[in-house]
Amino acid sequence: MAKVPEVYVLGGYQTDFARNWSKEKKHFVAMMREAVLGALEKTQIEPSEIEVSHTGNFAAELYSKQGHLGAFFLEIDPAFSGLPTSRHEAACASGSIALLAASAEIEAQRYNLACVVGVEQMKTVGAGEGGDFLGTAAWYELEAKGIEFPFPKLFGKLGNEYDKRYGLKDEHLAEISTINYANAKLNPNAQTRTWYMNYDHAMSRDEFNGNIGGRINISDCSQVTDGAAALLLASPEYAKKWADRVGVPLESIPRIKGWGHNTSRIRFEDKVAESRDAEYVLPHVRTTVTDAQKRAGIADSDGIDAIETHDCFTTSEYMAIDHFGLTAPGESWKAIEAGDIALGGKTPINPSGGLIGAGHPVGATGVRQVLDSHKQVTGEAGDYQVDGAKNVQTLNIGGSGTTSVSFVIGT
Amino acid sequence: MLSATTAGAGGKSSDLLNSRSIQHVVVLGANGAMGLGSGALFTTAVPRVTFLARTKEKADGGLAAAVKMVRSSTVASRVDTGSYDADLDRVVAEADLIFEAVTEKLDLKKEFFDRIDKVRRPDSIVATVTSGLSINQLAESRSDSFRKNFVGLHFFNPPNVIVGTELIAGKDTDPKLLDFLDAYCTKRLGRAMVRTADTAGFAGNRIGFKVLNECAILAEEHGPLLIDELVGPYTGRAMTPLATIDLVGWDIHRAIVDNIYELAPDEAHETLKLPEYMADLMSKGVLGRKTGAGFFGKDDAGKGVVLDPKTRKYVDRSSVGRPDLRFIDEIANLHRVGRYVDGMRVFAEAKGPHAAIAQKVIAGYISYSFHRVGEVTDDISGIDSIMGYGFNWAPPSVLVDTIGLKPTIQMIEKAGLPVPPALANAQEGTTFFDDPQVNVGKFFVAA
Repeated sequence: MAKVPEVYVLGGYQTDFARNWSKEKKHFVAMMREAVLGALEKTQIEPSEIEVSHTGNFAAELYSKQGHLGAFFLEIDPAFSGLPTSRHEAACASGSIALLAASAEIEAQRYNLACVVGVEQMKTVGAGEGGDFLGTAAWYELEAKGIEFPFPKLFGKLGNEYDKRYGLKDEHLAEISTINYANAKLNPNAQTRTWYMNYDHAMSRDEFNGNIGGRINISDCSQVTDGAAALLLASPEYAKKWADRVGVPLESIPRIKGWGHNTSRIRFEDKVAESRDAEYVLPHVRTTVTDAQKRAGIADSDGIDAIETHDCFTTSEYMAIDHFGLTAPGESWKAIEAGDIALGGKTPINPSGGLIGAGHPVGATGVRQVLDSHKQVTGEAGDYQVDGAKNVQTLNIGGSGTTSVSFVIGT
Repeated sequence: MLSATTAGAGGKSSDLLNSRSIQHVVVLGANGAMGLGSGALFTTAVPRVTFLARTKEKADGGLAAAVKMVRSSTVASRVDTGSYDADLDRVVAEADLIFEAVTEKLDLKKEFFDRIDKVRRPDSIVATVTSGLSINQLAESRSDSFRKNFVGLHFFNPPNVIVGTELIAGKDTDPKLLDFLDAYCTKRLGRAMVRTADTAGFAGNRIGFKVLNECAILAEEHGPLLIDELVGPYTGRAMTPLATIDLVGWDIHRAIVDNIYELAPDEAHETLKLPEYMADLMSKGVLGRKTGAGFFGKDDAGKGVVLDPKTRKYVDRSSVGRPDLRFIDEIANLHRVGRYVDGMRVFAEAKGPHAAIAQKVIAGYISYSFHRVGEVTDDISGIDSIMGYGFNWAPPSVLVDTIGLKPTIQMIEKAGLPVPPALANAQEGTTFFDDPQVNVGKFFVAA
């Protein structure tokens, strides 16, 4: 493989995921605007320096009856007039796909400075209607149509598959939920930072922690969230200039050291059928993780200091633990019991609180994960800082384990 | 000047957190909204919380309401209940923190503190959630160890949602206790802490209710609907002013403004005088939402009605005309797409008698807030914090930054109000708001 230029991550900004932008009576462009202007302010970059923008968004057509989101980037600042823009969609992995597109263009030396913004406004509709919209991330006609809250049920099936192959205890899922909520209390942008949660609550099964389908209860679910996150990606040429300008050594600026990107068949039962004799329940997700590590020159997860993973449900994080290789396949519970995934553990997972604690504005999530990874490796994560983090890996998943993208961010 | 004890927390927070241990909290008045809400909040960090009320049944009711408030049955596994007669002496003697949330009456609170002083351990903390009574007055004639360990800890309702909290020292309060509580409430209870002086209404209510009462005064001439639109969400608040008074209750509003009017005569004295029409209607039982109607209500058919303060009668909302308020529509449209600076510039430049009313209230809020620095808090950031985290209003500094320094000063001058020296002496380009964790855009609601 020919040597391609490095892609630098200069920094970014996310909106407070606790906000309800429908209550504020706002259009999603306000969210994009706050995220992008926040990222520019944080990095001390002028709007006129941006050469290209990529927007990640899942379903504005449904939530806001608006397509063509790339064009809305121009509404942020007059300096963006004429800018090349595009919008990317791969369900809950939309933000990561936008990042992949932007980084590929930098690697191809088309542009030196790209702005990636992920955005989703979800509170425009009620829970039932929103759940139905999310069903379009699965094969809607076959897996979601006419089903109340289809996605919790699909990820409940993922739990059942683990149970069938290896055994699965609710106590371990409750521990995953508890850790994510606890971490979120340390994150000033986390949606659930003031919510009432503890292990006993995650284990409770009464009206306040109702069943959503199968083995999934409310405390197992990520949130319905309004939010946006923006990042600035740069070529080595721009990064060098920028490093001199802000007075930091180029080596201290985090890079996308590796990436992985795979797709599995969209129907959950087809995925499971395909993996029947495989080591991993979702083998393509495993490949995504190992591809990113290989490209980063990291042998295995021992070289990863923290993980920001896609815990759309506790079962998806349970899956991620062995797919990241923290344990042998089917033994995720061992890492939970050993305290490895908690803050202060061997490989903390979701110090930010993840999708369960920090929130899950679908199209923004992949961008938010890389932003949090950037904060970790630059020591700017505040109360949820993982001490000495050098390499942080993300895993962003669209659909029921369908599109998966992973990045290794490090210095 | 403020006493030394209102200065910011000193020392490392981990050392501070370890300087005391809170394993058991006793809540007095645990059947009231503040008591049960605070009690539920304590269960997030404390293994044992005792809910006390006049009767055990009332305390049980408080616990049931607390479970519903935070939507978790697990609150109950950390809470035990009891009555003042049967249990107070015993549990107070065991407690690390005694949290008083009984009815807002000086004599009643003092009665409880007499009992607590007799039975508490000398090292236990006593906190009152009073929203306006003087901490020094409440501490009067108590034992030395009581006064040393006594503070005001003013949560806002509902405490599981609103994180802004005022911490008020009395003149004998141990400074180390203040530092501990500051760190403890921030780290363990997720609070945004603000230290205030022991002045009437402390910081939040002093400033917040000044604005609310001014709106109530203006409503007499202009009507509640127009005032709530003029000082509406687009000026930087989630809830309109008169709807807020209806929600908190006219009786609470009266207690707060009367207290400030009596004890803290300042440059805006007259805006803190309860309007006569409110006193008049209160004598007829009007208390806001809890009695079914205040400024706003519903008729028997469920149709929206609004008070006409001049006639003291309610009229159909839809019968009240709306004047041309195009400037508000224009600002709301700018807020809607995130152009808050452009929106607030339009606000500062808007012409006409209606715009002038809105500008005067907002200019008054800014001027009044900056003039309270040194009296209720050490700096404007304390006031900014409590107005943002406690009231969910755009903090005064956010308004100055968004409107711009010069236009803000002009707006204050045009309203005939005193320009605070901090603004008059500032360089153009100065930024006043200094909390990077707050998305300032959230305050500017597009309505």
